Amino acid sequence: MDCHNQEEHSRPQEEEDIMDIPLDDPEANRAAAKIQAGFRGHMTRKKMKPEDKAEGEERQEDRGQ
Amino acid sequence: MAPKKDPRAPIKKAEPAAAPAAAPAPAPAPAPAPKARPVDLSAVKVEFTADQMEDYREAFGLFDRVGDNKVAYNQIADIMRALGQNPTNKDVNKLLGSPSAEEMANKRVTFEGFLPMLQTIINSPNKAGYEDYVEGLRVFDKEGNGTVMGTELRIVLSTLGEKLNEAEIDALMAGQEDENGCINYEGETSDRDVSTFASCLVACI
Repeated sequence: MDCHNQEEHSRPQEEEDIMDIPLDDPEANRAAAKIQAGFRGHMTRKKMKPEDKAEGEERQEDRGQ
Repeated sequence: MAPKKDPRAPIKKAEPAAAPAAAPAPAPAPAPAPKARPVDLSAVKVEFTADQMEDYREAFGLFDRVGDNKVAYNQIADIMRALGQNPTNKDVNKLLGSPSAEEMANKRVTFEGFLPMLQTIINSPNKAGYEDYVEGLRVFDKEGNGTVMGTELRIVLSTLGEKLNEAEIDALMAGQEDENGCINYEGETSDRDVSTFASCLVACI
């Protein structure tokens, strides 16, 4: 594992022990981006729900049964 | 996120100001990565059922705050998320032809213009499902034991990829860490009766 760039941040020793942040690792960045995208999707849908619910319920009754 | 380059400018550098022939002009800025060819939306075959169209139109309408039956570029990602997709911001930027910040805020698209964008994301081959989240989290599982440290994940999510801010991370992590500060991302949860982290991410699709 390559070391992180020490000049970018001066992390306390214990954080360095916890992890080497692979800032440049494309695989790690891709993995992170996927998780972040999933989260953003999830949060947006969660926020939409109260708004949607009233209409959504009506429409579901029309459509569902 | 969006490169500074104006999409209308030709790819070749064309300095309007007359450059004296003698000056060995160094590159004005490090050459940005060649912009990916914009997605050809006109070639996308839109295949939605009538029910889907109704849902999409309704969601679209919710985002139209101006009343012109359009939404701004910077709303596109959220509409797609509302409709069950999880595009990265990069995916959306590419779809929109790498718009400038100004275009993101001011350019608007109709529902008809939006549909091929949505179709493209829906058709996207690398859509993440449960397994992808598990695999993604596994990358950060130092001990290979099916858990990641909450602290570590916080750092990862705020420094890599498309960074989340603190509030977002708090929301994401709420209730996920066990008493040791670990997140069980696959398999059985310790003793909580809640979904694992990865299944939380897919829960609302």
